[in-house]
Amino acid sequence: MLIKKTTLAAGAAALAALLIVGCAATDTADTATAAKPDYTKMSSKELAEYLIFEAGGFRLDQPTQEGTTVRERQTQDNLQKICSETRNQPSPEQAGQIIADARASITYPEGGIQLGDWRKGRELAWSGFGFRVGHNNDDHSRREVGGNCYNCHQMATDRVGGNLGPSLTGYGKSRGNNDATRRFVYEIIYNAHAYFPCTNMPRMGANGLLSQQAIADIMAYVLDPDSPVNK
Amino acid sequence: MFKKALLALPLALTVGVSAHAKDPVEVLQGLINSIDSPYLTQSEQNLMMMPDNPALWVAEDGRALFHTPRGPNNVSMEACDFGKGPGVLEGVYVEMPRYFADTGRVMDLETRIVHCMTTVQGFPADDPAVRARHNNDSDHMKLQTYIASYSNGMPWNPPLSHPLEKALRDAGEQMFFRRAGALDMNCATCHSQTGKRIRASVLPNANVPQEWTKAVSWPAFRVGHDHVRSSQHRVRGCYWQMRQGQIVAGSDASIALISYWTDLARGQPAILPDMKR
Repeated sequence: MLIKKTTLAAGAAALAALLIVGCAATDTADTATAAKPDYTKMSSKELAEYLIFEAGGFRLDQPTQEGTTVRERQTQDNLQKICSETRNQPSPEQAGQIIADARASITYPEGGIQLGDWRKGRELAWSGFGFRVGHNNDDHSRREVGGNCYNCHQMATDRVGGNLGPSLTGYGKSRGNNDATRRFVYEIIYNAHAYFPCTNMPRMGANGLLSQQAIADIMAYVLDPDSPVNK
Repeated sequence: MFKKALLALPLALTVGVSAHAKDPVEVLQGLINSIDSPYLTQSEQNLMMMPDNPALWVAEDGRALFHTPRGPNNVSMEACDFGKGPGVLEGVYVEMPRYFADTGRVMDLETRIVHCMTTVQGFPADDPAVRARHNNDSDHMKLQTYIASYSNGMPWNPPLSHPLEKALRDAGEQMFFRRAGALDMNCATCHSQTGKRIRASVLPNANVPQEWTKAVSWPAFRVGHDHVRSSQHRVRGCYWQMRQGQIVAGSDASIALISYWTDLARGQPAILPDMKR
């Protein structure tokens, strides 16, 4: 009896929910065709968010390589919010939190941080392939995701690197290749905000851009004495 | 084709662009003389090729297209108001994006052309003339390049007197600094310092208006693409490179960003059409 009643009630609730959803959907459709909200009554930040997420500013339903959609790409996490709002100048308190969060985000390979193959790392450091979406999606089944390192860093000088980040030419030669150095380089690649809160360096590990193997190979390119970076 | 180009080139230099006394090469040279800028001077080859900028031919194609009655309504674009009255092209582009009372919207040049094609000329929104935006042979690039050439050498002066113009410009600033996407980037990541490079390519600094005016001087012939490109194309390309999502051309978001970037070049002369790497 009790069960039956509950079932009935649940059924009624489900029906009500359906009706509400139906109404909500209608409302949404009406809103889309009705007058836009008054942009001048919104703060610039509210308006920017509205334009991105509510006013057709981005193709939010497009799929991404990580299995989400563009909506998730455009949605800011806490780090992105703070670094945007402060224009990369977080308060000491915010910086402390960012560093703590970044440290917590880092996972280490089983068996310690080892260097991979610098020859593979050299090509990965050069490659800008991966994670581009929109008019020309990168198909990750076709080609391995690159590190984009040369976009911002000079590395071996036979190829031209950018200068948004520091030069890494001779990095391993000047710093050696001991456990502490390997750990530092690994953490910088994985999530550099652990050391430089609101850095421009992408979170190559924490954001799932590079595999452990790719990180090991790129680290070898930076640190291996035989790598052209250190010649 | 070659013959047509040869004929068109002197025409562009003597009839269209020269209405403003200068040609785009002189405007760029003036900027180069005014400031020490690795961005402005990065390609000696482009500077040498600029008198023969293929965008000048695209502008000439645009002239013919602009003045020809077209579409279901058989009306030319002379009936379109770009902000200073129907048919007036002189200096309209450096004062865009602007608010248009007939649509109640702030519009950039591309969006305004779409509006006039679909209302004044009566093209359906899905007509190839309206939809194709990106290549030398698209009506859009022909019209944009032609219309913009009437603002060559004039200072950028996007109006901010209407509250919506100000609102979008300010929202565009928020977007410019909004870090998001797989690489945590915003526009400022690449465009807030002088002399910075992505690989070999020198980046324009948004804080230096003499540099930034070249950065926002679209349409420009992109040598690497072998096509004339628009502001909207540049915005889309930056979001793609940043691993953010695809911005929708003509959306208020795209116009907000273009409003902000145009405001950053305020007072500096536009190079129209420009030529870029």
